Amino acid sequence: MNKEPLAWYIAGPLIGLIVPLLLILREKQFGVSSSYRYLISLITKKPSYFSYDNKADSWQIQFALGLIGVGLYYFFTNDSDFFFNEDLKNNFPVDFYSLENWFIFLGGGFLVGFGARYSNGCTAGHCIMGMSQLSPASFIATIGFFIGGLIVAHFVNPILFSY
Amino acid sequence: MLIQYYSLTKMKKITNIIISISLGAFLGFILTESQAISWYRIQEMFHFQSFHMFGLLGSAVVTGALSLIIIKKLKIKSVNNSPIKLKDKPLTWKANLFGGILFGLGWGLTGACSAPLFILVGLSWKLGLLLLLGVLSGTFFYALLKDKLPH
Repeated sequence: MNKEPLAWYIAGPLIGLIVPLLLILREKQFGVSSSYRYLISLITKKPSYFSYDNKADSWQIQFALGLIGVGLYYFFTNDSDFFFNEDLKNNFPVDFYSLENWFIFLGGGFLVGFGARYSNGCTAGHCIMGMSQLSPASFIATIGFFIGGLIVAHFVNPILFSY
Repeated sequence: MLIQYYSLTKMKKITNIIISISLGAFLGFILTESQAISWYRIQEMFHFQSFHMFGLLGSAVVTGALSLIIIKKLKIKSVNNSPIKLKDKPLTWKANLFGGILFGLGWGLTGACSAPLFILVGLSWKLGLLLLLGVLSGTFFYALLKDKLPH
């Protein structure tokens, strides 16, 4: 099945609108990855990184619940063709969303978690929120995101999946 | 009086939770419909085979930046009638860069950054939970090493 994606010039501005909506409705700056720190702080306060006033971050878990809910919606309506878009698969003939790749999900996830907390933000907090503020830290982090991504896409994935 | 006040703050709390969940769902639908959550789209982006993801990120940033300018110029206030204050992320260039590169490696491998990761938990719970387990162990490991890393 092939399904055209929602056009970037509609999707992009709608994503950008989350920045003012969050500020006006919730007085929060857009970001997602502080939720990792928050989740662990519910379980343990050690190392000291997790003993902080976590109340300010609780909204991110509610936000994440909205995201998970959308995932469940698509799961139950079976409308998940976008994983298997044939056009895309022609370029990367890989059955990526398979449990055989469990180590990629686990190891890649580890890097996402470690890297997001180390750089103090992710694609949401740095790329979108931080760059909207013209924050130098966010420009540097975004350059880092692309250095890492380019390395993997060009030198690691072709070996992992032999394409 | 006291009871009235109590239920009012409770109402406010519940409204806030509903707003946060709805905004998360809003983002989720757009990320899914635009296929930004797909590993294949992320590979396509890093191979410069399509403008889709660049247009998406770029126009999101432009919209965000313009909104911030408008908020500043018109002195728009929040729903609680307080002025909107922005905190800048602290510039710790080593951490921003090195952490950013590590994050990018993970992004390229899994095709999922923070928001798509949560969508995947609902969409394909086994893979999503593997990702989440990885992410949380990565976060914990960072907390352990934090003081030894260059910032």
